[in-house]
Amino acid sequence: MATPAPIDCETAVRRLWDFLDGELGAMSAAEVEAHLATCARCVPHFAFATEMLDAVTASRRVPGDLEPLRARVVTALETQGFRGARA
Amino acid sequence: MDGQSASHAAAVARDAVFEREVLACLPDVTRYARSLTHDETAADDLVQETFLLAYRGYHTFRTGEDVRRWLLTICRRAFLRDRMRSSRVVTTDEGTNAELDTLAAVTGHAAAQRAGEDMLFERFDLAPAIEQAIAALPEAFRRAVVLVDVEGEGYEEAAEIEAVPVGTIRSRLFRGRRLLQEQLLDFARDAGYEATRRPAAVAAASPAVIRPRRAPRHATGAQARVAQQTT
Repeated sequence: MATPAPIDCETAVRRLWDFLDGELGAMSAAEVEAHLATCARCVPHFAFATEMLDAVTASRRVPGDLEPLRARVVTALETQGFRGARA
Repeated sequence: MDGQSASHAAAVARDAVFEREVLACLPDVTRYARSLTHDETAADDLVQETFLLAYRGYHTFRTGEDVRRWLLTICRRAFLRDRMRSSRVVTTDEGTNAELDTLAAVTGHAAAQRAGEDMLFERFDLAPAIEQAIAALPEAFRRAVVLVDVEGEGYEEAAEIEAVPVGTIRSRLFRGRRLLQEQLLDFARDAGYEATRRPAAVAAASPAVIRPRRAPRHATGAQARVAQQTT
């Protein structure tokens, strides 16, 4: 791959979420990485966004007791001929 | 074995696979249904409907497909169909410029930085606030945030579930994240966040390596795919 071209701060931050989500093309991502390696202004923005997205992902939780709902779903499925064993 | 018992055995085997692989996604479908309906009773009805539809259509499911994504797609379609039946029309500002929303979020962070209010993720247990903030997002943005940031789907996969172009998911996601960030910063301020400026040396010293949170897709990139869709 060719050496990434220098990009300015605005270009870098416009790509912030695409970069963190792994959705940039290889060259565009390399340009952002090269920019972050030398720009102390942009790194905190990327770090903050990373923390926020990590916190959102960490808020994912398994819903409470699903056994009654599961039993209800299985009962409904049984009316359609489902032969699964109840948990 | 005669033909009848062979077909009975095949049906029993199929149901066992359904139970093991499809019903196992009940927590994921429930979480998604709750994010759609905002109402536990309505969500339970939607979950039941989703699994009934999945069972009836199980013969259309192709081995190797992502079963969870298949279920979430069914769930979303069922939700929209039920909503159309009840004639509740929801309009949404789509969030048409993804880059502007990214820039606005960075500007918001820069303001919080200047006020010394940007370390909220290190100081607060934000999980309850995040749940509330997600629930308060306008519906289309909420669905995009839930699919990508909570459930961990990529842009293309979320677009497939929502049956919209990748560019639409990206715009909705970025607007949703921007709104989420604003709400979380507001929450921190309302919770009596004590502004303590970081020493200049700490603020400037930022050699931390920033990497994508997910394995890069790299083949074409979201921006390129969005450009392709709009040309």
